[in-house]
Amino acid sequence: MIELLTETAIQEPQRIRGLEMPWNRVMGSTETPARAARALGPWHPQEFMAECVETIPEAGAMMTFVFRRCDGAPLAFRAGQYVNVAFPVNGEDQEPVDRSYSLSSSPTEPWTFSITVKCDSTGLVSPWVHENIKPGTVLEMLGPVGAFHLPDADRRARYLLLAAGAGITPIMSMMRTIHSLPGHADVVVLYHGSDAGGFAFHRELAYIASVDSRIKVYYSLGDRSIPEGWEGLSGRLTAAMLEEVAPDANGRQVYACGPEGYLNTATELLKNVGVDDTSIYMEFFSGDRQTLLEYQAEVALAADVAEEIAEEIAESAEDYFEGQPAAFGLYEPGYDAEGTLQASGLPLEIVGPETPGSDPSADSPGGEPEAGSPDASSFDTVGTGSFTMSFMRTGINVRIDPAERILEVAQRAGVRIGANCKEGMCGSCKVVKLSGEVEMNHQGGIRAREISAGKFLPCCSTAQTDLVIDA
Amino acid sequence: MTASVNVPLNSRGKIAASLPAEQLAEITALFEFRRTGYSLDAPFYTDPSIFKIDMEAIFGQHWIFAASTAELPEPGDYVTVDYGPYSLIVLRNDDGGVNVLHNVCRHRGARVLTEAAGSTGNLVCGYHSWTYSPEGNLIHASAPGETKFDKSCFGLKRAHGREVAGLIFVCIADEPPTDFDETAKIFEPYLAPHDLSKTKIAYQQNIIEEGNWKLVMENNRECYHCDGHPELACSLFPTWGLTEGLIPPHLEEVWNRNKEAQSSLEERCRRYGLPYEVVEQLDTRIAGIRISRESLDGDGESFSADGRRLSKKLLGDLRDFRLGRCSMHLQPNSWFHFLGDHVITFGVFPINEHQSLVRTTWLVADDAVEGVDYDLEKLTYTWKQTNLQDKAFVELCQQGAGSPAYEPGPYMKSEYQVEAFINWYVQRVQEHLA
Repeated sequence: MIELLTETAIQEPQRIRGLEMPWNRVMGSTETPARAARALGPWHPQEFMAECVETIPEAGAMMTFVFRRCDGAPLAFRAGQYVNVAFPVNGEDQEPVDRSYSLSSSPTEPWTFSITVKCDSTGLVSPWVHENIKPGTVLEMLGPVGAFHLPDADRRARYLLLAAGAGITPIMSMMRTIHSLPGHADVVVLYHGSDAGGFAFHRELAYIASVDSRIKVYYSLGDRSIPEGWEGLSGRLTAAMLEEVAPDANGRQVYACGPEGYLNTATELLKNVGVDDTSIYMEFFSGDRQTLLEYQAEVALAADVAEEIAEEIAESAEDYFEGQPAAFGLYEPGYDAEGTLQASGLPLEIVGPETPGSDPSADSPGGEPEAGSPDASSFDTVGTGSFTMSFMRTGINVRIDPAERILEVAQRAGVRIGANCKEGMCGSCKVVKLSGEVEMNHQGGIRAREISAGKFLPCCSTAQTDLVIDA
Repeated sequence: MTASVNVPLNSRGKIAASLPAEQLAEITALFEFRRTGYSLDAPFYTDPSIFKIDMEAIFGQHWIFAASTAELPEPGDYVTVDYGPYSLIVLRNDDGGVNVLHNVCRHRGARVLTEAAGSTGNLVCGYHSWTYSPEGNLIHASAPGETKFDKSCFGLKRAHGREVAGLIFVCIADEPPTDFDETAKIFEPYLAPHDLSKTKIAYQQNIIEEGNWKLVMENNRECYHCDGHPELACSLFPTWGLTEGLIPPHLEEVWNRNKEAQSSLEERCRRYGLPYEVVEQLDTRIAGIRISRESLDGDGESFSADGRRLSKKLLGDLRDFRLGRCSMHLQPNSWFHFLGDHVITFGVFPINEHQSLVRTTWLVADDAVEGVDYDLEKLTYTWKQTNLQDKAFVELCQQGAGSPAYEPGPYMKSEYQVEAFINWYVQRVQEHLA
């Protein structure tokens, strides 16, 4: 026991740069098993049934409900998103009442997921939920929904997370996610509550803050009277408080969740301390009619997308998963289609249909140029040899043996390719290969980048398969 | 190029030595009797012989700015830069280093690479296809019937190159000055947090100014003329260059705003561990430098009318946009502004005694997306305007230097950095001629 109590200096962990969500690599992967995992990707909302497996009472009249999907699949989502749940408030045979709740668990533990519900005794749904949802209860859900979430990759990963009351729920998901991932991050959480005993998750927050040097948590007691022994901040959100907890707020991405009044104040204050509007993300926990309508629209769109995708998958699962990035682009127009994944340095285009390097089976037959180009089958064929090289500009097919240098055979057949050293040094014969494989023994006349862009030097290359060449 | 000398130039000897003794004596006297605190005599800006001496004594001897890492990020990427008669290829090699080669084919002297920038494997001269490796070795020259041709004797001539904190410098001298190491140690900690290796070129502007390279540099080393820069005046405090005691009453309010902005900038710098102190050794060392971090007016983030950021992606590991501008001057041919959201590099490439190429490059974080994170027009607006205004000022002076009525005038107190530049220049040339 004595060792446990001895103070030991422990060094900071070594970390990779920035944060990256684990599913990014799956999206970029061309290996078949990993590619199959794209089916689990958090790219689109789905309708599914989920079974409650645990209920956990929280401080502040809140309750966490842990679910698993009935079909056994993990629930893929982004930290900060929510699900729309159909609650049979008026009995199983009556029309259920839909409500949206933020996911409080981390998507890095996707086999179960949680929502955390604050009981509002005057409300229709939340008291019913607290009273009736038990392990074994099965509910119909739609999700994930929402654009309020952490980015998929962020090399800067500096956040200011602002929460008031039940607004801690999506913020908790974000913190759990960051805590579960390696990588550099710098997170400041400012959590406003109305009374000292009402901070949900405070024990877990204290634990995370004590073991994870990337995360700092501050509490403030709003405008209520301060009990004896309170060590946190006091008072509503002010510019001075922001300055105190995050003097570098200006360079952070801010995620804020709470009631409307709180968020309106936050917007104003953040602007004053120099945070750009494009760096502020907000989720309203209560709002005016306009806000509610926006949520309804978001849920309705998610439902449409879920239905559309379910139909597509039913028609041809394989085609669907090939083209998945386009599908999630449809749900969140222009969002991650390029930005975030590209920023992570991952070759998103690998799954696109037109890019060289993609699975040839996904291309049009033979990887031929676009419609309107000549068809190589109509070209004259000259020479002898086991492979055919189609020169698309010259309009000729040239037969070649695997031992012959491509340049010589091509030039003999009248294809005009400039050349000088003929030893792979000067690069003057560089051409683009549209399809097929060559073996090349160059001496610096071509760059790895150019090779991966489909170019090669015919002077020092032999054919390994039939070839289609842009010359 | 105009040549006032009849004696052919010996590429291995000093140009100065090739001048007729009488002319050399005259030029030496011009340097010797230069009046301290006054602008230079007209021939310094107009005489082709002095330009030749400049090329030899300044550009042929010192470490000079060529480009930034963002201009040649990948192996095989190159830029060609010309300093007067010299043309150099600066190329990123496979080991991540920089090769500097004279852009002169060893066959008949043709320019080997003719583009300003590009990417290449081996280097092929367009004339007779002599092919050089990226290290400059001649690896292919078709030589039918030649029996005594030894390729190893005809590699491209090499020069020195080095990269510090994302800036690339070249030196043509056989033995480069060694005190550049000291200068690099001064500026590296200021620049490193901006991480130039993770930037990309947003825009590059090449302007040919009808003026001697020294006039371009002189103009940049003072803000006495800044009334002529209305766009820049939004972000630079109108009191720039003034010190306590020199503040006219109508600027007192601005002066106080400036002091406040500077002290909160310094507080932020201390918080983030960023150096901000002024280091000014413009003429007290061979690789002369001035560097500091200074506040900007308005929101203090960038060169915009209201001082707000112009790119939304922070550079490197910087944590805050409100970092003012870290400005650096390096003798003899460059100056820079490093901000939280972007970097601007300025290089002066002399063409002849009355023309200079001024190359301005705007760098943003390499993951910043044009049209999303920055608007190119807005990003470049202030310095595009300022550069054009500066070009006009330089050209006015060049015209003046050509007039028989021109005589050197006194530098004012706020122009002490111009004096330092000229003093540096005169010292370096005199050392070379001695």
